[in-house]
Amino acid sequence: MDFEPKILGIACNWCTYTGADLAGTTRLQYPQNLRVVRVMCSSRINPSFIFRAFQLGADGVLVGGCHPGDCHYNTGNLYARRRLAVTRKILEFAGIEPGRFRVEWISASEGNKFAEVVTEFTEQVRNLGPQTKFKIEQLPTPEKI
Amino acid sequence: MSINFKQIEEKLKSEATKLLEEGKVGVVLAYGKGYDENHPLPFVARKASDVENIVFNEYCTANMARYIVRYPRGTKIAIAVKAADSRAVIQLIQEDKVKREDLVILGIPAYGMKNAKTGEVVDSKTTCGMYNPVIYDTLLGEEVHGQSVVSPYDVLAEYEAMDKEARWAFWKKELDKCIRCYACRKACPMCYCDPCFIDQNKPKWGEKSPESHGNLMYHLTRFHHLAGRCIDCGECSRACPVDIPLYLFHKKVAKDCEEMFGQAAGMSIEDKPALVNFRVEDSDKILE
Amino acid sequence: MKKTSINKISDLAAELLGKGTLVAPVKEDAGFNFREISNAGQVDLNFYNTLMSPKSAFFPQTEDFVRYDKNKSVLDAQCVDLNLKPVFLFGVRPCDAKSFQIMDIHFSGTGVVDPYWKKRREATTVFGYAFDINTPADGADFYSTLNIGAADPEGSDVFMMKRGDELLLKAVTPKGETLLASLTSLADASADEQKYFDDTVAAGRDFKTRFTCVDDKVIAKKLEDLFHKTEFWEKISDACLSCGACTFVCPTCYCFDICDETLFSKGVRRRVWDACMFTDFTLEASGHNPRTKVYQRLRQKICHKYSFHVRKYGVISCVGCGRCTRNCPVNIDIFSIVDEALKA
Repeated sequence: MDFEPKILGIACNWCTYTGADLAGTTRLQYPQNLRVVRVMCSSRINPSFIFRAFQLGADGVLVGGCHPGDCHYNTGNLYARRRLAVTRKILEFAGIEPGRFRVEWISASEGNKFAEVVTEFTEQVRNLGPQTKFKIEQLPTPEKI
Repeated sequence: MSINFKQIEEKLKSEATKLLEEGKVGVVLAYGKGYDENHPLPFVARKASDVENIVFNEYCTANMARYIVRYPRGTKIAIAVKAADSRAVIQLIQEDKVKREDLVILGIPAYGMKNAKTGEVVDSKTTCGMYNPVIYDTLLGEEVHGQSVVSPYDVLAEYEAMDKEARWAFWKKELDKCIRCYACRKACPMCYCDPCFIDQNKPKWGEKSPESHGNLMYHLTRFHHLAGRCIDCGECSRACPVDIPLYLFHKKVAKDCEEMFGQAAGMSIEDKPALVNFRVEDSDKILE
Repeated sequence: MKKTSINKISDLAAELLGKGTLVAPVKEDAGFNFREISNAGQVDLNFYNTLMSPKSAFFPQTEDFVRYDKNKSVLDAQCVDLNLKPVFLFGVRPCDAKSFQIMDIHFSGTGVVDPYWKKRREATTVFGYAFDINTPADGADFYSTLNIGAADPEGSDVFMMKRGDELLLKAVTPKGETLLASLTSLADASADEQKYFDDTVAAGRDFKTRFTCVDDKVIAKKLEDLFHKTEFWEKISDACLSCGACTFVCPTCYCFDICDETLFSKGVRRRVWDACMFTDFTLEASGHNPRTKVYQRLRQKICHKYSFHVRKYGVISCVGCGRCTRNCPVNIDIFSIVDEALKA
């Protein structure tokens, strides 16, 4: 069977999530590999969410927020930009392919951009193959002495 | 030129006595006698008569800034700091954990400090590679000049050049050793959260048992929490009973933050920590 | 009594491997540690003492009790059974061997028997290994202060010591006796070697580490009297970071926490080491925490080991192996604190 990546999407309520809605209502096609979680702002994303997603079996994580300057809370995504840039560096230094994590600014009117980004990102993750480094295979692991 | 530890100790004692006798401070955070010469203890002098127990030698690596947050706000504290420790103090001031006016900073210019466990010289490999305190009220000793300046990030080159698979194998091997004694977070001057995220169980961020996944969650998140705040004193790695080179990851994150945000942690009390700050002109390139 | 040559130690290891599981000190980055041996050549007796204590052979850091599936009924949960081959715990220093007897009190001595501890204990043959009495002890050790000799066979099933290039082995318990008799890679020891063994055990009792011996009862009483002197405890805990390094490396610390770890629906209820030095150790469900200050936790640790334990069970819960002192990030020495308490 072909590898179908599992991708976690974390989208901001005001822009990207609404953008996804728009993509849906305009009947744009995009891969079904994305599972979207809505948060109130991209700065609400705790980096641990991303580490945990990879541990629980995500092959890629896509974060969406408003364009810088357009944040519903004025500055939220400007903090998020710095924070997620660090997350990216940490994942990279730990040995995760940087291509598995992506941050995109997608506004509420950019339904087509949302569909494009998801299509492109899914292909990218598909090419990288399954993510096995962080993934917890099973919990009851053999004892250590 | 080498550091005259005995002279620093004498100056530290006389300064401490003066401050305590004049009632300018309530406590003096310095170093005291341990169970032998090579194992000095962090020491708190509360009375002028305590001062005789103060020592300073090349094994006094502990970062005394770790203890500042333990005292109630408004306590007048005198603290003995080396270069990295002074950056920790600045960082704590930036984060409003302590007020500048409540502190009397006794700066100690030093190099050639040694790890009490192994006897190895603690140099730019595991610390920030600076010799003179960044901030101080009184300098105990003369500023160090002419020592070669080494970049604290040189040690990273080997790991940055590694293939990502090899790097993952390296970190997996190292982090699997962790026994979750939490000495790293307790020794860290910037780790003052109560409770720490890993101790929370609603939500539960990571497993408590010392296995790969819980260890990975704990350490990666801790590296993230210290991004732009780690002042590279290397205490976490020295505290670690199983010798995990935590300093490498902290250095890497510190280096990236410096490159991306143009500011090193703990260099000026006017700064804000990099991750609770932003600039509108930050580039999206940092996300690529 | 038997003997073998030090360079033929791998033959002995290979024979033990054939009989069951061999756990012996292995050199790692941070020092020696007890690990399961897969290759007989790994056994190395050139160590002073291990970084982590051998308690993990009987009381591993994580021990699974019950496996469950949240989508199924509670009745489908399975108890985790221990099926152990005979285990040979090789190269345990006399002070650590003594610690097993102290731990026995808690896990099987007070009427409540911990089945996991008991099973592991029964399956294991302990090979004690004497300290070299001709070289001075490590600066952190203080076992002689607690009346433990450098070559005390007490607590071991088989006791070993080095004599030049030879390794002498003597059975201490019937279990050890049977095992030694069945080992073919060993030769019989001469009367001269027998004498050397007994002499060394006696000489080991006179071997001195730091501090002078103090009566258990005196320490216990003194600490009890000091319990409410907050000033004293605050002063000694000034340096303490309240991390768990000392308790995790300690051979006689036995506190644990039971937690459920679930991945999606499947999970396991397990026992994980906990430490009295952690803030959340005493945190109650109501949110109240009786020990919020560092001094309260350090006081608990010291009084438990040197005072409450003596009152309750008649022995100090410390064997003087010095691991806590060696591994403390800020060089706190536990017995210096007791010493200070005695002077206070």
